[in-house]
Amino acid sequence: MKKYLYPLILLAFLALLPLVVESNYFLHLMILFLLWVVIGSSWNILAGYTGQVSFGHAAFFGVGAYTAGLLFQHLQISPWWGMALGGVVAFLIGLPFGAICFPLRGAYFALASLALGEGIRHITTIAEGFTGGMMGIMIMPTFTSKVPYYYIALGLAIFSVASIQAIINSKPGYYFVSIREDQDAAASLGINTTLYKNVSLAISAFWTGMAGALYMNYMGFIDPHVVFSLHDYSVMAILVAIVGGVGTIYGPTVGAFIMVAFQEIFRTGFFGLFEYLGKATGSSIFTTLSGAIHQAHVLGFGILVIVVILYLPNGVVGDWEKIKRNVFRINPAG
Amino acid sequence: MDVFLQTLVAGILKGGLYALIGIGMTLIMGVMGIINLAHGQLMMLAMYVTFVLNTMGVDPYISLFVAMPLLFLLGMAIQKFLLNPLIKVETILPENQVLMTVGIGMVLTEIARFAFSSDYKYITTGYANQTFYLGNISFSMALTIAFVIALAFTAVMFWFLLKTDLGRSIRATAQDKDAATLMGVNTGRITVVTFGLGSALVAAAGCLLAPVYYIFPDLGGPFTAKAFIITILGGLGSTVGAIFGGVTLGLAESMGATYFGMEYEDIVGLTIFILVLLFLPGGFKRLTKV
Amino acid sequence: MKETVGKACVVVAALLSLVMAGSAGFAAETIKVGVLLPLTGSMAKFGEIEKRSFDMAVEEINAKGGVNGKKIELLFEDDTGKPDVGRSGIEKLISREKVPVITGGYASSVVAAAAPVAQQFKVPFVICTGATDDVTEKGYDYVFRVNPTASEYPNAVKSFLHEVATDVKTVALLYENTAFGQSSSKSFEKDAADLGLKIVVKEGYQAGAIDFKPVLTKVKAANPDMIYMVSYIMDASLLMRQSKELHINPKMFVGGGAGFTLPEFAKSAGDAADGVYSATLWVDTLPFPGAKEYSANFKKKYGSETEYHGAEAYAAMYVVADALKRAKSITPKDVRDALTKTDMKTAFGPVKFISYGKKTQQNKLDTYMVQWQKGELEGVWPKSAATKKYIYPTPHWDKRK
Repeated sequence: MKKYLYPLILLAFLALLPLVVESNYFLHLMILFLLWVVIGSSWNILAGYTGQVSFGHAAFFGVGAYTAGLLFQHLQISPWWGMALGGVVAFLIGLPFGAICFPLRGAYFALASLALGEGIRHITTIAEGFTGGMMGIMIMPTFTSKVPYYYIALGLAIFSVASIQAIINSKPGYYFVSIREDQDAAASLGINTTLYKNVSLAISAFWTGMAGALYMNYMGFIDPHVVFSLHDYSVMAILVAIVGGVGTIYGPTVGAFIMVAFQEIFRTGFFGLFEYLGKATGSSIFTTLSGAIHQAHVLGFGILVIVVILYLPNGVVGDWEKIKRNVFRINPAG
Repeated sequence: MDVFLQTLVAGILKGGLYALIGIGMTLIMGVMGIINLAHGQLMMLAMYVTFVLNTMGVDPYISLFVAMPLLFLLGMAIQKFLLNPLIKVETILPENQVLMTVGIGMVLTEIARFAFSSDYKYITTGYANQTFYLGNISFSMALTIAFVIALAFTAVMFWFLLKTDLGRSIRATAQDKDAATLMGVNTGRITVVTFGLGSALVAAAGCLLAPVYYIFPDLGGPFTAKAFIITILGGLGSTVGAIFGGVTLGLAESMGATYFGMEYEDIVGLTIFILVLLFLPGGFKRLTKV
Repeated sequence: MKETVGKACVVVAALLSLVMAGSAGFAAETIKVGVLLPLTGSMAKFGEIEKRSFDMAVEEINAKGGVNGKKIELLFEDDTGKPDVGRSGIEKLISREKVPVITGGYASSVVAAAAPVAQQFKVPFVICTGATDDVTEKGYDYVFRVNPTASEYPNAVKSFLHEVATDVKTVALLYENTAFGQSSSKSFEKDAADLGLKIVVKEGYQAGAIDFKPVLTKVKAANPDMIYMVSYIMDASLLMRQSKELHINPKMFVGGGAGFTLPEFAKSAGDAADGVYSATLWVDTLPFPGAKEYSANFKKKYGSETEYHGAEAYAAMYVVADALKRAKSITPKDVRDALTKTDMKTAFGPVKFISYGKKTQQNKLDTYMVQWQKGELEGVWPKSAATKKYIYPTPHWDKRK
């Protein structure tokens, strides 16, 4: 029980948050954070634990989102059913995805997954009649307040991380890691590597799909470019997991927080802090700085990525000892 | 029949340019196993260099002699300071290096945007729109020149890798890094030079593309994707394979556009990519041992 | 493991507090108007033209006394051209800045994502550029649109075909695969059917393509009387250059708006742009009050040309200011009610939000047709707006000087 003390405290904090904080903007950022916890953790199961580095995870996210959206568009079924079905459809898409990609190893697997992700995006754009093409799907979100979405996202995050933790600590979890370390050795030990890779993918796709369906319900608008985006979803999922720490349960959670926070910090110039300082002090340096940070927000983000990969290759959680030593000057055990 | 021939010509000429884009990547992937997701962005930089020189009155074909060395140096710097350090680090997944290139690509794109804004820049030359006709079939002058230059570069690279010491060192490192080190090859230096070489080649492609296309910071992505397809089609490390891959992709796109619809152009490329990955993993190189 | 998780939570909590501190708003005393625009990203150029137009309009309005003595202050939110960022941006304007009214809205997909938010929170949103039809077809009573919709762009082209180019019987339709391109092509198909035109080639393409020769070869083989293209600047430029290379000679080349009317198109396409028609929403020679002055002042102040997007923004600002002046109080509901009674003339054209067809709270404007003649963009149709006579049919490539 003590092992779970910190996560439980965090959980209680997160659960009580909407009761204390009223700002919609802040809740929105938290919902984004929770979504990325789900997506990052799901990706982590396939890549961090099973060693199959997918560059096409946007495919599952988008499929989940479109399931919810299309059910409403064509059959007038509430998109909340999409949440239940989004994960399932994503899982179904995962089957041919795995069939095509799993025979390949390492870099080739990554490239094939990238190609599939992009392929699904193109198909969705072209199949205008069925998907609405680039005009997208527009639905009116059910709730005006963000609070219900927040709790649903929180629930999704808790369930996904808990289920992932349960699996990792069980026999399939060990199989995953053995496949990651040396697939051939694992096979020669009698582990059905194909089966377990597909199981890993199934879990990964399922949760990512559910996150996509929640996104559809929450945002109200999707189009192929948004939900199947290579950079905004596939690559971001990888970054979230790597910055946080692959192969750890809570790494993606930390990574999700860092990425969402930093992206917004850069985009708004430290939440308008510089702009405010500029107005308060009358000094133009701050306003120019704020303008520059805003203009270069993606640049700042890119530099962050480079720096993290250079100095914290195992992520914040994975390299925590290194951080403790160098940043906080805490030297464990003398 | 005219439609078919015109499509054929368009595909082959485009393919020459594609091949030049692919050669750089096949070298990098073949020698170092590095997936360089910033390849297109390097080309984008070369195109901006061409643009700047063009505003000063320099012809794009002369810019080749400026952009190539510049990108060569940049490539070497990237490999030396950002990628080499990653090789020695212990990580769970080897894919950190790919993500590093993602970060680099992002940074290059944004620097270009900062310097030049998101506006579309274009180059005007006298001959860029010129065509010559063989019968009823139109040949774009600029693309034909690009095709010829691409062939020339391929021939030069082929000779270089086969006959020069440096070239042979590169091939040795590609075959087996540790064995090469044991043989006295400075593999650290070789990787740096190879990345520089790959960057210089894609820079050449950029200079040749500039007169017939246009320039903006985000153009890198689709070209990186094409470079991968060409590399896989041709086989890692094979220069002649790059020509084959480039022309095949160019033809597939053109034929796909004419006979299926232009919307399907990219899907045709992706489908071929996946098919080759699954059924012919060594690419063209495996078929011909070149 | 527990240790690392514990430390992770500390990091999270630390960053959380920073985020929370940042989310606290800062107060102000003027009338704040929210503006949603792509200030960075691939559409930044147009975002800049619109921002400058908004700024210019606000300066003029404030100099003349503002809104009943109070100055207007613009709060810009950058949507970076992406719908989800646009959505957070508009939410920030609504819940953090608590603005009584929002305007802007450039990209169709951003407007589609942002409008439902404005509707849900009941804050009026005065769209000035986003053209996808369905946004004003959903009965949102808090959403208004100043500009014509994508389906209305080619109205002048239609009347031209009806009255002048009556010998056009076949059309080739090329469009980019974006929200604007796809919705424009869908409505153009309907228009062609109404006019009795046969569509012989219909092709969508990914914006940013390098080589249009395969599809253009197909077009040439089909020998259409008219080629209608819905493309942005550089695709438009390549399409025309490559059409010239292939010696394609229809009776008219027509652009569906946006790309074909911008100066960069003509500059980069060179003489391949000559004779090309385009649907457009505005030229500064139109007899609207302030149109010419706006164009001249913009050029003087910023040193570059403006175009119809800027005019849309400029006019939208005046519409918003007018509604604020008439509103019973500066609250979203009262401003919204004032907007429904808008009836004014602006530099972009007359503005009155009415319902027609499936649309509600949409401003109904004429659109125009222009033609590039010797490097200059001339208004050619309808006759009342024409600065020069149209050149029809388009002369063959090899017969030109």
